[in-house]
Amino acid sequence: MVVFLQQIINGLAQGGIYSLIAIGWTTVFGIVGVINWTHGEVYMLGAYTGYFITTYLNMPMIPALLISMAVGAVIAMLVDQVSYKPLRKKGVLAATGFITALGMSQILRYTASAAFTVNPRAYPELTKQHLITLFEVNGTPVTISSLHLWILFGTVAIMVCLELFMRKTLTGKAMLAASQDMQTLGLMGVNAEKLIKITFGISGALGAAAGFFIGTIYAINPVMGALAGLKGWSCAILGGIGSITGSLIGGVLLGIVENLTAGYISTGYKDAIGFAVMILVLLIKPSGLMGYKFEEKV
Amino acid sequence: MAMLEIQNRNVYYGKIHALKDLSLSVEQGEIVCLIGANGAGKTTLLTSVMNQIPSTGCVSFEGKDISNAGTMDIVNSGMTMVPEGRRVFVRTSVQDNLLLGAYSRKDKELVKKDLQNIYEMFPRLLERKNQLAGTLSGGEQQMLAMGRALMSRPKLLLLDEPSMGLSPLLVDQVFETIVSINQSGTTILLVEQNANQALRIAKRGYVIETGEIVLSDQAENLLANSKVKEAYLGG
Repeated sequence: MVVFLQQIINGLAQGGIYSLIAIGWTTVFGIVGVINWTHGEVYMLGAYTGYFITTYLNMPMIPALLISMAVGAVIAMLVDQVSYKPLRKKGVLAATGFITALGMSQILRYTASAAFTVNPRAYPELTKQHLITLFEVNGTPVTISSLHLWILFGTVAIMVCLELFMRKTLTGKAMLAASQDMQTLGLMGVNAEKLIKITFGISGALGAAAGFFIGTIYAINPVMGALAGLKGWSCAILGGIGSITGSLIGGVLLGIVENLTAGYISTGYKDAIGFAVMILVLLIKPSGLMGYKFEEKV
Repeated sequence: MAMLEIQNRNVYYGKIHALKDLSLSVEQGEIVCLIGANGAGKTTLLTSVMNQIPSTGCVSFEGKDISNAGTMDIVNSGMTMVPEGRRVFVRTSVQDNLLLGAYSRKDKELVKKDLQNIYEMFPRLLERKNQLAGTLSGGEQQMLAMGRALMSRPKLLLLDEPSMGLSPLLVDQVFETIVSINQSGTTILLVEQNANQALRIAKRGYVIETGEIVLSDQAENLLANSKVKEAYLGG
């Protein structure tokens, strides 16, 4: 029981990070309709931004996180302006966006490999790490590392801000509407291009935050975005594509499943079993956990 | 000078010539209806006027050439459309649907007042303001779509098949609503398959067949026209 609870707690921070990546995927896909493969690379570049400013500028954790998010936002917006916007103007994004996205992702990944070298790098220690006892079961403590707790707080804070933005501001409401019907939204006088810029900005900031958080735990490298990006996309599908809540649940679920696998079976199997569980869930509920479906009204 | 002046509008879908040199005008204050069979080009004309599809030919609104204007600028200049099939945002609340209708307006105080007016006009929407629009009935969704369009304070409102798929009682309500919107000062271009009722509330009418205007006249003359009767009014 203690091991079980402990593995779930260990999985939360990782799961929150997957959620951040997944939300970035799902917002862009929902609104722009492109499977934005560069999202994993924005995550990687966010991690590197964090690495450079903490290592060479000795920047403390919170400002470093915010700057990484800002850089991620700008990179994601640039990727859109350079690679997707021209396709949108020509009306061929749906047909060619997938390949363009894959190509851009490879360009970013291998440019980073050349520029930063493939050697893994580790962040300096940004916070003193210690174990905090959450509660005890029959005298055995269930603990969480202070770093994980910090990441969880950061993740929750970012999600609360996002939720408030989506629910309370007219721009956020327009984003939700855009994910349902962009053409009709145009009839309300909404500037679609501006909305798309904001969407990529948010997506990039979330991806970079995830990269930053991962950098505080593990060593980073230029190809780290490949698997993480794929997992994030899978969590977005698992949660029900287009649903932010779904992405949140999908990410946390994957984080927990991976950690339970690592705890009970072996760390080596955690990626394989994580994906197997996702395939199973989608077999049972193809629209994803929070997939919406309204019948056509007559 | 007509409020809306469409001249020699052409639209192609690939090799299909969907609108052929179509010309049409709407005077301020009128209800003008465009009737025609399925696939005649009615929806194509409206989406073309809003510049949502590639088109050639001239459109002017209140004397300004809007042939190449973006949809956003057209809406901001005072013309909008209630699209075919209502297209409400189903996962968004009724109230937020309405607020999105006023997205580009800067006069936020007036927006609040307009929202109250819409609720007075459609009390059902007030009752259901916090519900997701997807849970509304078809008739309520049509009211919501019209209310949403009115929130942008249009001078000219394009309505695409507002009676489609509604029960006869609701159809009557929709047409009554259109008349009252018009009476409060909004000019209306109405596209309908329900030719009979559309012509009864309209001042003038156009008949469109395979992308061309084949007839235009005062609405009462069209109602009396034997060809129109035979083809569109059920004999």
